[in-house]
Amino acid sequence: MIQFDNVNKKFPFGNTALKDICLEIEDNEFVFVVGPSGAGKTTLLKLITRELLPTSGSIIVDGVDISQKKYHQTDKLRQKIGMVFQDFKILNEKTVFENVALALAISHLSSDAIKTAVHQALQAVGLKDKDDFFPLQLSMGELQRVAIARAISGERKLIIADEPTGNLDPQTTWEIMKIFKKLEGKKTIIIATHNTDVVNSFKKRVIIVKEGKIVKDTRKGGYDL
Amino acid sequence: MNKLFKSIRRAPYQSFAAFLMLFMSLLMATALLFSIGSLYGLLGYVETRPQVTVYFQNTATESQIAKIKQELIDSGKALSVKYVTQTEAFETYKVLNKDNPLLLEMVTADILPASLEINAKKPVYLPQIAEFLQKKPGVNEVVFQKIIIDRLIQLTAIIRTISLTFFIFLTITTMIILFTITHFKVALKRDEIELLRLLGASNNFIRWPFFQESLVFAFFSATSAFLFFIGLIFYFSPFINGYLRGIDRLTINFDWTQITVWPLNLIWLATIYFGILLFGCFTYLTASFFATKKFIK
Repeated sequence: MIQFDNVNKKFPFGNTALKDICLEIEDNEFVFVVGPSGAGKTTLLKLITRELLPTSGSIIVDGVDISQKKYHQTDKLRQKIGMVFQDFKILNEKTVFENVALALAISHLSSDAIKTAVHQALQAVGLKDKDDFFPLQLSMGELQRVAIARAISGERKLIIADEPTGNLDPQTTWEIMKIFKKLEGKKTIIIATHNTDVVNSFKKRVIIVKEGKIVKDTRKGGYDL
Repeated sequence: MNKLFKSIRRAPYQSFAAFLMLFMSLLMATALLFSIGSLYGLLGYVETRPQVTVYFQNTATESQIAKIKQELIDSGKALSVKYVTQTEAFETYKVLNKDNPLLLEMVTADILPASLEINAKKPVYLPQIAEFLQKKPGVNEVVFQKIIIDRLIQLTAIIRTISLTFFIFLTITTMIILFTITHFKVALKRDEIELLRLLGASNNFIRWPFFQESLVFAFFSATSAFLFFIGLIFYFSPFINGYLRGIDRLTINFDWTQITVWPLNLIWLATIYFGILLFGCFTYLTASFFATKKFIK
């Protein structure tokens, strides 16, 4: 599903974020991208969503080279990706239902289809009864659940989570990770984190990034700071 | 629509400011359109009043005069051409001097010349018609009020320039203010726009709510401004009627059609309404387009 071929990324002021990245991620695979802060994890994820373009090399998602400058289907690409952010990116002036529905409205679904999909997603994250709540009425853990509901709603095949538990206490972290665990085998999941406990307990594929390079890629790996 | 009303409810002051601004601009545009229309009608009316009068020598035959009259009609420059025979001229003379029997005794129909009274379609044609007539055989004298005509041409040009300048100024001012208001609204939604982009929304999807709001506001503002203006017109109608007494009809003439602007009629009112509706939609949509452009690169 995702293929990086000798990908390099340099920022305008000369600092190198990624060097010679070669990587393949299969459909429905569960992958952790780990490494210390500033290692290049977020840059790697942003290249998949085309928030950034590589300096050299190619990135193929779903059989299409998205690293070309003349690629004009970024909106279509992102409609296949569900994103979960460390800062949640939940809109405070919209209800839980509206926040999740936003991701579906983009795909021009009917209002009935949106209603059904939102309720399914909220049920999956355990927020079925809080659909008309505003974000200010929710806890941090619940906000992240809303973000996950938004990411998994509809037909998004790929879930990218950038430090999804970075702002959460240990108990909530495990609750959130359980939701990702439930999605295993149904969607491709890429989680960037530096939470060693989570990575080690899941025993999934681990890609370790340090100073912009992949230093280790193990199928059922663990991670040690 | 629900989303739109929710958006208005959540930013009521900006929405009200946009509505008021558009309402004021469209009220001014309505007044401007109505005034320009009436003024053009009035100018058209006044422009056709001056005449060229050509007096013929007594030796000129009726067939010669009829031929000249036909040539004038065929030229497309004359609005009307009236042939005044010697007898008709004498009848007019008698009416004008009915209180002066001495003058009536001294003049007979043979002395007064036959003439053609010509109203031109545009005042610029008058000198051309006069020049044309002076070359014709049997013509004794051609009379037209050159100074009045020159001033009319000048006045028409000035009024056209002023109204066009004012209209451009109104359009630009409205657009800048609406751009600023919309820019505020878009800036308030910066996070939502950024999120929508990350979720895969197209530029049109992001812009659509702002465009939708522009269209709805333009509709309500145009309708309110139009109704308010119609109320004003009816309130002032006795004054307008008094001012235009004696004028049956004012029209604007285009090459392809003619619109009656006075007395008020459904076609002219519909033209004004759709004119300001289009103006409102165009200015607000353009302002929204540029206000959102910066945020959806």
